[in-house]
Amino acid sequence: MAGFVVRRLLAVVGVLLAMSVLIFAIVHILPGNVAYAILGEYATPGAVAALEAKLGLNEPLSVQYWHWLAQMLHGNLGQSLSMDRPAAPLIAGALGRSAILAGMSFALVVVLGIGGGVYGATHKGRVSDRTLAFVQFLFIAVPDFFWAILAILFFAAWLHWLPATGYESIAEAGVGGWLAHLLLPVAVLTLGLTAHVSRLARSSMLEVLESRYILAARAKGLPERLVLYRHALRNALPPAITVLAIDAGILMGGIVVIETVFAYPGLGRLLVYAIEQRDLPLLQAGMMVVTAIYAIANLLADFSYALLNPRLRHGRSIR
Amino acid sequence: MSGAALGQWRGSRALRIGGCVVAAIIALAVISPWFAPYSAVAFDVRLRFAPPSAAHFFGTDEFGRDVFSRVLVGARYSLAMGFGAMAISVIAGVPLGLLAAFHRGFAEAAIMRAVDLLISLPPILLGLLILAVTPPNLWKTIVAVGIVYIPILTRLTRSVALGLLEEDFVQAARARGEGAVSILAREILPNAWPPIIVESGLRVTFAILLGSSLSFLGLGPQPPSSEWGLMIAESRQFIDRAPWMGLAPGLSLCALLIAVNLFGEGLRERLDPRLSGRGRA
Amino acid sequence: MPETDLEVAERAPGAGGSSPALRIEDLSVSYATIRGRVRALDHVSLAIPRGQVLGLVGESGSGKSTVVLALLGLLDEAAEVTATALEFEGHDLLGDPVTPRGRRIGTVFQDPSSILNPALPVGLQVAEPLLVHRRMGRAEAFERAKELLAQMGIPRPGAVMRAYPHQLSGGMKQRALIAQALATEPDLLLLDEPTTALDVTVEAQILDLLDGLRAERGLTMLLVSHNLGIVDRICDRVCVLYAGRTLESGPTSALLQAPRHPYTRGLLGALPRPDRLEAAPLVPIPGNLPDLTNPDPGCNFRPRCPFAEQGCAEPQFLSEILPGHWVRCHRVGIVETLPWPLPEPVARAGGGTPERHRERLVEAAEMQRAFRSGGTFARLLGTESVTRAVDGVSLAIGRGESVGLVGESGCGKSTLGRLLLRLLPAESGSLRFAGEAVPEHPAAEFRRRAQIVFQNPDTALNPRQTVAAILSRPLHRFALAEGPEVVREVERLLDLVRLPHAFRSRYPHQLSGGEKQRVGIARALATRPDFVIADEAVSALDVSVQAAVLNLLADLRARLGVAYLFISHDIGVIAHIAERVVVMYRGRLMEEGRTAQVLHPPYHPYTEALLSAVPVVGARERSASRIRLAGDASSAVSAAGCPFAARCPRRIGPLCDTVPPPWQVAAEGHRIACHIPLPTLAAMPPALGG
Repeated sequence: MAGFVVRRLLAVVGVLLAMSVLIFAIVHILPGNVAYAILGEYATPGAVAALEAKLGLNEPLSVQYWHWLAQMLHGNLGQSLSMDRPAAPLIAGALGRSAILAGMSFALVVVLGIGGGVYGATHKGRVSDRTLAFVQFLFIAVPDFFWAILAILFFAAWLHWLPATGYESIAEAGVGGWLAHLLLPVAVLTLGLTAHVSRLARSSMLEVLESRYILAARAKGLPERLVLYRHALRNALPPAITVLAIDAGILMGGIVVIETVFAYPGLGRLLVYAIEQRDLPLLQAGMMVVTAIYAIANLLADFSYALLNPRLRHGRSIR
Repeated sequence: MSGAALGQWRGSRALRIGGCVVAAIIALAVISPWFAPYSAVAFDVRLRFAPPSAAHFFGTDEFGRDVFSRVLVGARYSLAMGFGAMAISVIAGVPLGLLAAFHRGFAEAAIMRAVDLLISLPPILLGLLILAVTPPNLWKTIVAVGIVYIPILTRLTRSVALGLLEEDFVQAARARGEGAVSILAREILPNAWPPIIVESGLRVTFAILLGSSLSFLGLGPQPPSSEWGLMIAESRQFIDRAPWMGLAPGLSLCALLIAVNLFGEGLRERLDPRLSGRGRA
Repeated sequence: MPETDLEVAERAPGAGGSSPALRIEDLSVSYATIRGRVRALDHVSLAIPRGQVLGLVGESGSGKSTVVLALLGLLDEAAEVTATALEFEGHDLLGDPVTPRGRRIGTVFQDPSSILNPALPVGLQVAEPLLVHRRMGRAEAFERAKELLAQMGIPRPGAVMRAYPHQLSGGMKQRALIAQALATEPDLLLLDEPTTALDVTVEAQILDLLDGLRAERGLTMLLVSHNLGIVDRICDRVCVLYAGRTLESGPTSALLQAPRHPYTRGLLGALPRPDRLEAAPLVPIPGNLPDLTNPDPGCNFRPRCPFAEQGCAEPQFLSEILPGHWVRCHRVGIVETLPWPLPEPVARAGGGTPERHRERLVEAAEMQRAFRSGGTFARLLGTESVTRAVDGVSLAIGRGESVGLVGESGCGKSTLGRLLLRLLPAESGSLRFAGEAVPEHPAAEFRRRAQIVFQNPDTALNPRQTVAAILSRPLHRFALAEGPEVVREVERLLDLVRLPHAFRSRYPHQLSGGEKQRVGIARALATRPDFVIADEAVSALDVSVQAAVLNLLADLRARLGVAYLFISHDIGVIAHIAERVVVMYRGRLMEEGRTAQVLHPPYHPYTEALLSAVPVVGARERSASRIRLAGDASSAVSAAGCPFAARCPRRIGPLCDTVPPPWQVAAEGHRIACHIPLPTLAAMPPALGG
C-alpha cells in the first residue's frame, strides 16, 4: 500500500512536469508569433520588439521555460497582460467561485448518480427503470450548453423566477441571492453527469448481482437488504469511482461552458477570457492550475479505489 | 422473449431508427445548398427577428437571415466534426494501440506515457489549449477534437489486442512461427474490430458534442458561418426577443445527437459479445 | 416386478421405510430461450432418508445443479418450476423456500474463489448466518465462527477471520465455506461440486472433512458431482441424471459395481482409471447431449445408446429391478447381458518400438524460468516476488514416445510445455530437437515439427475463422499443399479426427466442446509434426467425450508415430495415455519412469500422496492406507532442500530442508529425487490398492 501511494504521487509529479512542458510548448512553438498573437496582425515592429523584451521572449526557449517553472514553484503564476495584474490572486478568486459550483454539483452527482444506479439495477426492466433510462439518455445526448439556454429561457426569461446570469457573494446578496445565482448552473452541470454515473453504476451493480457470491449470499438466507448493501454495493462501488474520476474531468470541462453561458466569474470563464484577450501568461497559469486540480482528483479516486479494494490493502496471503 | 432476444431486438430497432435519422440528416446536409429556400448568409434588414412563419419555418435572425436555411447548411459542420474527428482518432489511435500491444518495451512505454499525458487534461480544456493560440476555424476544431480522442482509441485497442494476444488461438499461431503481420491480420484484427467499431460510434457523438461546445465558446468556425454551436452562442443576447434563433439549431443538434447515440447503442448491443448470446447454430 | 406400472414406477425411488428428510417428486424446470423452451429437469424424483448422503451424478447439461437451485428457490426468474412435492422435513420448499435457507439448509457451491465475497473479511462471512439467523451479538458470533474454522481444520483461525478471500488458498476458502454452511447447525447440507476447482490433494482433504462431518453429526447431504469416484467415496445412494431425467438410482456400491442402465455403464467404461492400467481401451459414448428444447418422448439416451431399438421410442419408466435399485430402461433385463460394442479398433498405447531403441527427439537440459511480480518500483525496494516456475528441469522424449507430465496446479507444468516449444523464452538451459540445438527464435522447420493442443476448446480456435480456414492456414504457412490439394488435405485432416467433411464451413461457435477439441488436434496435426504437446487437452471435456478424444490421440500416435508430451493434473488420464510419466512439483521433477513403475512402489512420497488422493471408483476400502498432505502446492518452500519437504509426510529430518535430494535410480529408466533410501521407498504400501 505504501509503495502504491508513493508510486502514484511520483506519477502525479511526472504528469505535472510533462504538462508544464506541453503547455509551454503549445503557447510558444505553435505557428504564430506570441507577440503578434497578442498585439494583432498589424502591430508595428517596434511594438512587437518592446513586448518581446517585456515578456523575456528574446531569450532561448529553454531559459524562458526554466524561468517560468521556477517562478511557478515559488507560487508566482506570472502577470496577466490584459489586466496588468499578478495572475495568482485572479486565479485564486475565480477558483474559489468555481469550487463552489463544482463542489455542489459533484456532491449531487455522487449521491444521485449512485442512488439512481442502485435503483435502476434493483428495479431492472420495470416501468420506473425504463423511464429513468430514457430520461438519462436525453440528458447524456443533449449538450449542456443547450440545457443551459433552455433553463435561462424558462426560469429567467419567461417565468422570471431566477436571475439569468452573474454571481453575487453572500456578503452582497445574502444566502438567498447567492443560492439563486447558483441554482441553474448547478442543476445543468449535475443532470448530464448524474445520468452518466447512474447508468454506469447500474450496469456495474447488475454485473455484481449476477455473480456467484451474490447467489451464495442469498443461499445463506440473508435478507435482500443485506445482500444489496453489504454484499453487492461494496463490489459495485470501485468501478463507479473510476467513472466518477473521469466525470470529474467532464465536470471541469462543463464548468468552462456553463460559466460562459451564465456569465459566472469562475476559473472556466477566466480561461475563455484569457483566450479571447490573448492573455497568454494568464492562460498558461490557469491551465497549470486546472491540470494540478485534475491530477489531484484522479489521485483521490485512485486512493479511495485502493481503500475499497482489499487486494491492494491486504496483499499478503495467509498460509 | 428472453433478455438476450429482447436486447437483440431493441438493439436492431435502435440501429434502424438511429441509422435512418442519421442518414436523413446526412442527405439533407449534402443537398442543402440546392434545397435551402434562402441563402444562409445574405442579410435582409427589413426582416430582422421575424418569428417562425410559412415563409420562414424557423424565423429570421438579427440580420434578417433565414434560420431554417442556416440550420440546414449548418448540419454539414456538425457532421464534419463528428465523423472527421472520429476518423482522425481511429486512424491515429488504433495503429498506436496495436504498436503498443505488439512491441512491449520502449514503444509501448513511450506511447502509453504520451496517452497518460493527453488524458491528464479534461477534454474541453485540452481542446481549448490546442486551439487557444492560432485563429480558429473548422478544420482546426476537427483536428483538435480528433487529437483529444486519440488516447481513448489507443488505450482501447491496446487492451483488446493484449487480451487477444493471450488467447490460445494466437498462441497456436505463434507455435506455427507466424510473423507479427500475419498474427495481426488473421488473428487480432478480425476479433478486435467489433469493440473498436462500437467505440468509434460513441466517439462520433462525443466529437459532435465537444466540437459544438468549442464553437459555442468561439473556438470553431467563425461568423458568418452557421455552425449550430456558434448559432446558439450568438442567439444568447436575443433570447428574450427571438428564442427561435437558439431553439432551432439547438433542437436540430439534439435530434442529430440522439440519432447518432441511438445508432451507437444499437451497434453496441449488436456487436458486444457480452450482450449478444452466442448460441449454437 | 411391475415394469410399466405407473403408480409404482413413479413413486420416489430411494425412500426408505421412514419418512425421508428431503423428498422431491416430479420436479420439472424449464426456461424460455431464443431457441425455444429448454427443459432442464423433466419429472425428477428423489428422496434422502435422514442422516444419509445421496449423490446426484451427471455430465454437464444434465440439470444436476438446477436441482440444488430449485431446492433453494434461487432459480432465474424466467424459470418455470413445477413439482408434486418439494419437501424438507415436512416444510414445503416450493411455496416457501426462504425460511429454511441458511437456517436449516446449508449450501456449499463449487469454485470457492467466486463464492466468497472478495470485498468482505472471511470472518464476517462465516459469522453472518449467526448474526442474521441466530441473532447473536457480534463478539459471540465471531467467537463461534472462529471455533467453526478451527473445527474445519484451519490452522490459524484468528488470522483467517481477519483475512480477505484473496489471501487464502482454494482449500482454505472451501473449508471456510463449509464452516459457514454449518454455522447454524443445519439438518441438510447441499454440496454442489464441492471439490471441482481444487487440486486432487486438497480435494482429498475436503472429502475427508465431509466424511467426518457425516459420521459425527449425522448430517443429511445431497452431493452433486460429475465425478463418480467422489460419489463412491462418501455417498450411500446414487442417482444418475441425464439431460434432465433420472436414468438410474440405487445403493452406491451396487450401482457402481454393477451398473444396469446403458448410460451408467457407458460412463463407467469411459472413465480412465489409474488402477486398471492393463484393462481394455476406454469405451467412449458416441454423440452429444440431446437438444433440451425438444425432449425425446421416449428414452432420451437412445440416439447414443448402442442397444437402442424401436421400442425405445416409447416413454420409459423407472422400474425397481432390485430392492431400492431403479432403472429407466425397458430392456434392462436383456441389455445388461450384452457386451458393450467397441466403435472401432483402437491401437494400444505402448505398442511400437521398445523405448531403449528409440532415438531421442526432444532433449531439454536444465531449463529455467522464473516469473516476477511487481514493477520496477518493487524491484528497487526489493519487494518483488519471484516464482521459479521451472527450476532446472531436464527431460528427454523419444521419437514416437508418449510422456505424461503430472502435477498440481501451479507446479510449472504448463510453463515447461511452453519452454519446450520456445513459446516462452527460457532464462537458462538448452533445448535440442532431433539432435540439433533449438535457438531462442527457432526456424520454421522446428515450428512445423513441434505443435501444441490447448486445454480450453473455447479459446483455442479463432472465432472468426471457419474450420477450413483454421486447418488450411498451417498448410499454406509451411507450403504443405497448394490449390486443390488444400481441400483434399483439409478433408484428410477431418477424417483423421473423425469429423464429417461438412464441418469445413462451420465456425467454432457452431461446434460442441469435443468437436472443437478435435479441430484443435487436427490443426496441430496439419503440419505433420513429430512432437505434440497436449496441455490439459481433455480436462475441459465431459467423461464420455473425453474418452473419445483420448482414444483418438492414442490411435493417431500409433498411426502417425507422433511423440506426445501429455500435460495433465489427472493421473487417471496420464496413466491411460502415457508410456512414461514425469512427476513435477514446484518447478522441479520429483520422479520419472515407465507408467507402471511410477504407479507402484518404490515411488516418491509426493507421487504416493497424489495417487492416494485420487478418488477411484470401487476403492472405498483404500482409506486405511491413505496418505494425506497438509496445505497445498502454494505452501512455503525451502530454497535449498527438497521443494516438497514442507508438506512431505515422510520427511526424514533437517536434511530434507537443506540438501537438494539426489536422483536415485530404482530401475532402468526409473529415477526418484528423494533422500529416503530406495528399499524404504519400495516397502511403502501401494496407494492404489492391490
